[in-house]
Amino acid sequence: MRFRTVRNLCQWAVVCTSIAICAHTAAGQATLAIRGAKVYPISGPPIERGVLIVANGKIVAVGEESKVKIPRGATVEDVAGKVVIPGIVDSHSHIGISPNPMASDSGDVNESSGPVQPGLRALDAIDPADPNIRMATAGGVTTANIMPGSGNVMGGQTAYVKLRGNTIEQMLIQGSIGGMKMANGENPKHYGAKDKAPMTRMEEAAMARGIYEKAAQYKAKWGAYNKAVAAGDKTAKLPDRDLDLDAVVEVLDGKRVVHNHTHRADDVMTAIRLSEEFHYRLVVQHGTESCMVADELAKRHIPVSFTVVDSPGGKLETINFDLGCPAALEKAGVKVAFNTDDSITSSRLILRQAAMGVRGGMSEEAALKGLTIYPAEMLDLGDRIGTLDPGKDADFVVLSGPPFSVYTHVLETWIEGQKVFDRSSPQDLRYATGGFGVADRFPASPRGGN
Amino acid sequence: MRTLRCFAWLMCLAASTATLQAQNFAVLADHLYTMADGTQGGPGMVLIRDGKVEAVRSGSQQKPPDGYTALKAAFATPGLIDADTTAGISGAYNIPADQDQDEATDPNTADVRTLDSFNPNERLLKVLNQYGVTTVQTAPGPRNPIAGRAGIFKTAGIGSAPATVEQLAVRQESAMVFNLGDTPKITYGKKEKAPTTRMKTAEIIRHALSDAKAYEEKWDKWKKEGGDISKQPTRDMKLEALVPVVDGKLPAIFNAYRADDIDTAIRIGNEFHLRYMLASVTEGYLITDVIRRAGVPCLPGPVMQRSESMETANATFENAAILKRAGIPIALMSGYEGYVPKNRILLFEAGIAAANGLGMEEALRTVTASAAKVLAIDDRVGSLDPGKDADIALFDGDPFEYTSHVVAVLVGGQLSYQRGK
Repeated sequence: MRFRTVRNLCQWAVVCTSIAICAHTAAGQATLAIRGAKVYPISGPPIERGVLIVANGKIVAVGEESKVKIPRGATVEDVAGKVVIPGIVDSHSHIGISPNPMASDSGDVNESSGPVQPGLRALDAIDPADPNIRMATAGGVTTANIMPGSGNVMGGQTAYVKLRGNTIEQMLIQGSIGGMKMANGENPKHYGAKDKAPMTRMEEAAMARGIYEKAAQYKAKWGAYNKAVAAGDKTAKLPDRDLDLDAVVEVLDGKRVVHNHTHRADDVMTAIRLSEEFHYRLVVQHGTESCMVADELAKRHIPVSFTVVDSPGGKLETINFDLGCPAALEKAGVKVAFNTDDSITSSRLILRQAAMGVRGGMSEEAALKGLTIYPAEMLDLGDRIGTLDPGKDADFVVLSGPPFSVYTHVLETWIEGQKVFDRSSPQDLRYATGGFGVADRFPASPRGGN
Repeated sequence: MRTLRCFAWLMCLAASTATLQAQNFAVLADHLYTMADGTQGGPGMVLIRDGKVEAVRSGSQQKPPDGYTALKAAFATPGLIDADTTAGISGAYNIPADQDQDEATDPNTADVRTLDSFNPNERLLKVLNQYGVTTVQTAPGPRNPIAGRAGIFKTAGIGSAPATVEQLAVRQESAMVFNLGDTPKITYGKKEKAPTTRMKTAEIIRHALSDAKAYEEKWDKWKKEGGDISKQPTRDMKLEALVPVVDGKLPAIFNAYRADDIDTAIRIGNEFHLRYMLASVTEGYLITDVIRRAGVPCLPGPVMQRSESMETANATFENAAILKRAGIPIALMSGYEGYVPKNRILLFEAGIAAANGLGMEEALRTVTASAAKVLAIDDRVGSLDPGKDADIALFDGDPFEYTSHVVAVLVGGQLSYQRGK
């Protein structure tokens, strides 16, 4: 644990202060060459025998083994026969905020005291020590959009994080403020049971309109005030500060993308209607029936962050779940990301999400983009992560075989040039297969006693 | 003229229906897994006649005999058997109207039967069938310490008419279900009724089993003493249902997650000399020596199920493999889901087991031949031996690969599903 702390501090230093200092303080920042694997840069065709050069947390070079020179003094890791892909980006997750193991006392995913809560920040409730975060790295996830739940019309501010560090500050991606969670359809209607609004989809939309109109007015007031001050008006009255509306103004200003939980096709259209009325950027989250309105999404360039589940139902709005949906979206020209919605599905199996898209008819190329560059773009991080290109963060995953085979395991997960998961470590293996809690209760290895 | 034409058309329809019902198939596979004795996975052909497996011929270059319709696929396996699920009584919509799995009004509902809630037209059964699952043991849900009787059913009927539950039944009553651990005590604790602890859950079960023995003895005594109707003991449907359990005629299924709950199940099972099996067994891998000593089979629960309580926190993908390696007979189950997805898919769960220590062939055995043996239905299903039901799943690749597809499913020798049709 101490080792982890030191390492993480160092990572932090790389990100926020000086590369030189970090290189000086830790040997772990020496140049690294990952050699021999089949490399999927995503930005180009796969390289059969590739090499990836990493220094100071960034990718320095990617290419064929025969063409890329390995710098002298580099630490070489030979991974011949393996597969390397970019670190996986989960564009819809609740790890660290919806605890694992689930104990209701420590669950912080839905603030059910009111349906419109833009002032809430996921970052204030994320537990970096939650085992699920390590389980996610065991699945190859390196970046996640951790969101409040879907119980509210406006659920709060989401956090874009890297899965490293012991504090949320160490996890947060610098320069990134996160998105805004919204939900429509069935979930926010739970207030109806308490005789409170919303009780219908109509009211959900009305509430969303209400908060955006309010924020627009608030923005106008501040605009007028700032203009008056700039013009030298000393009598201009300072408008009241409203933390809720500040966050909504960031949506109106295009600084925050809205991640809208929506399943049914008509709910997808309602989400689109609102986004057009108030001119904000939208990511359709789940999108179970989004393929029914694929053309509507395509012509507006609205992407879908899709959640694959094993069977339809469990709630009415997922009753038409169809594995063919991602393929239909691809065909229509919609960019599709695959998410876990962890805890709905396990982050350890995020590759399976995209593989099931392939089972439903999607191309492998689009499915791989759906785990990497597309979700990165949905989080406005496409220039930093999502492909293996020089200058990007050295976030990558070493796989034992083809990305979409059930028999393939994640062997190693790296974030900014640091290994955060290693399947060959018995401790890490428990986060990959399960049973991480048994170490304390049953000191011997669970398999050793048998 | 019009009447005549209509008559001719009807005749034609009748003829085609008759042909359809009598259709005999020859399943040709590059990789045939009969799961009968012998080597698996070579090329071969299965001949199907009158709903049963007629013959199996190994080797490539097989030609279907005249009168047999050829069905070709890369892989063919016996239809999969889900050893414990709520499909059929817990519907996809998850609204009160279609939820019939938990009669949580009394901790002892030994008198209820899955048979009386089973909806043959439930869409989840169709979903399971399309993923190659042809037989399910459908059991009451997880809430009651004594939950009632499970039954074993096919997931599709034979012929075009809607099936009745009797037509789908392989065993109308297959086991008595007991639930241990968190769920019963949480269910009744909320109502301020017993059980609110594991102690009470065990006590309720032991009490009922003990009463069932006494009840049986009372009836035996009455019969021995001449069976005078005026002295006949009062009938008790709950105890009556438990008599075959204490007699070892009806198997018990103990649903338990934590290692200590599994141990409690074994303690009770042994105390009353029950014929029993252990379901879910999330922490079974931690006490394989105890389970092996008890000599009972395990139905490992779905490991892709999310950990919604402390008792499933230690779920591991390797559970099935570790139990199997310890020599414990296993059959995989999809269990109960209360939210999204509404049902786990056995094919997918077996895939995770295959990739995590069990291997492809053992994982397949676990959901076919081994499951049939554990559930004592191997006279009918589980392997493609001549005389057994022609329940077959056809795939275009390794059945467990994420990107493979089920291309056709046969139940009782008839196509219940064909991809793209």
